[in-house]
Amino acid sequence: MDSHFILRRISSLAGIVPIGLFLVYHLYMQLYLHSGAEIYNNEVNSFYDSPLATWALIIVVYIPLLLHSIMGVILVFDNKIQPSYTYFSHLLYWLQRLSGIGVLLFIIAHIWNAKLGPWIEGTWGTHFEHLSSGFTDPETGMITKTVYVLGVIGAVFHFSNGLNTFCMTWGIALTPTSQKRVRIFSYLVFIFLIVSTFYALSAIW
Amino acid sequence: MLDTLTFKIKRQNNAESSPYWENFVIQYIPNSNVISCLMDIQTNPVNSKGEKVAPVVWQSNCLEEVCGSCTMVINGKVHQACSALIDKLEKPIILEPMSKFPVIRDLIVDRSRMFDALKKVQAWVSADGYHDLGPGDSQSQSVQEVAYKLSECMTCGCCVEACPQYTKDNNFLGAAAINQARLFNIHQKGNDITEQRLDTLMQEGGISDCGNAQNCVEVCPKSIPLTESIAEIGRQVSGKLWRNIFKA
Repeated sequence: MDSHFILRRISSLAGIVPIGLFLVYHLYMQLYLHSGAEIYNNEVNSFYDSPLATWALIIVVYIPLLLHSIMGVILVFDNKIQPSYTYFSHLLYWLQRLSGIGVLLFIIAHIWNAKLGPWIEGTWGTHFEHLSSGFTDPETGMITKTVYVLGVIGAVFHFSNGLNTFCMTWGIALTPTSQKRVRIFSYLVFIFLIVSTFYALSAIW
Repeated sequence: MLDTLTFKIKRQNNAESSPYWENFVIQYIPNSNVISCLMDIQTNPVNSKGEKVAPVVWQSNCLEEVCGSCTMVINGKVHQACSALIDKLEKPIILEPMSKFPVIRDLIVDRSRMFDALKKVQAWVSADGYHDLGPGDSQSQSVQEVAYKLSECMTCGCCVEACPQYTKDNNFLGAAAINQARLFNIHQKGNDITEQRLDTLMQEGGISDCGNAQNCVEVCPKSIPLTESIAEIGRQVSGKLWRNIFKA
């Protein structure tokens, strides 16, 4: 057992627990967009009322995300592009890497836009207004929406396909039959999360 | 009706020189395979420009897809040349040596890295000494059914050639060696050193370098369930990881 192996296994686990679970929770919270500004802002702000909120975010989200990102960037460059092998699982392999890099860029922009920006401006707390004004801005609205749509699709794909590869990596799904079952399950997770999130975003479209 | 056949071959004079492409036009013969065509080129080594050149060299032995030595990249995909039937291939036929191993000359590569990987995972039954060990334990029918399929591996290199994670710059052991580790871990005598095999596979180059692209199982000429073997070894190292953390 060496650090090479352990770091990859921790990174693999971190992608599901806690990052994947956080993603599901985070997307679920967006459904409150349909309840209007006051309820949405209260729901989001209530999390920050906890004295441990910042610590919880650092331990549960930021550290695992940083590790997963660093490991991801390292392994994106350790491979060989072989376009003549046109198999579906090979396509998923590359989409997983592409979506990983895309989502990493999206998350950096998202943390800046939804968190650090409002903090610096002193408008922190009015999440609903911040998000909806970003979406409806006559000049940059279309760009914001496009970035969000791509970010959500990328993140949900990376998570649901990650469920699939996680089950292979850890030896949960052994036979081709069970791997196919897991793959079908991951498709369902993908569709469910995409539909739920676009329904949520439709409130401020 | 085809009467001639064009081969585009990636050649290399020796391990140090740089590769170049050369075309050969030969007589089409129905039901021929890539090896028989290479033999025709060898008989009359004249390239498409009419120049007499050194014959193209390749490696082959069994000619029935069980030894693995004639493995090469045919029209972009790795396969045994002996079982690559001309009538089923796109024309012109493009031949290249495998890209993951050092080229010795033309289509011959050095697959030592694969054999070294088998040594690293100790893909054998460790029964040392010349004294009589008595009859071996019999293998149960259920184990035999799994093991037979895994044992068909001929270390040809298809799985690692198609694997995006197996590069000349890293030291990934590859699907073939992982599959052999599984084979000897289920063997009633080979399982003596299961833990040592897992130790090797839990290091750099081991199981954690698999990226789940699953090209290996698609290209395996023996249809070995390589992704199942990878997942099974994944499960065994998960168990060992657990034991290392909580029982050691």
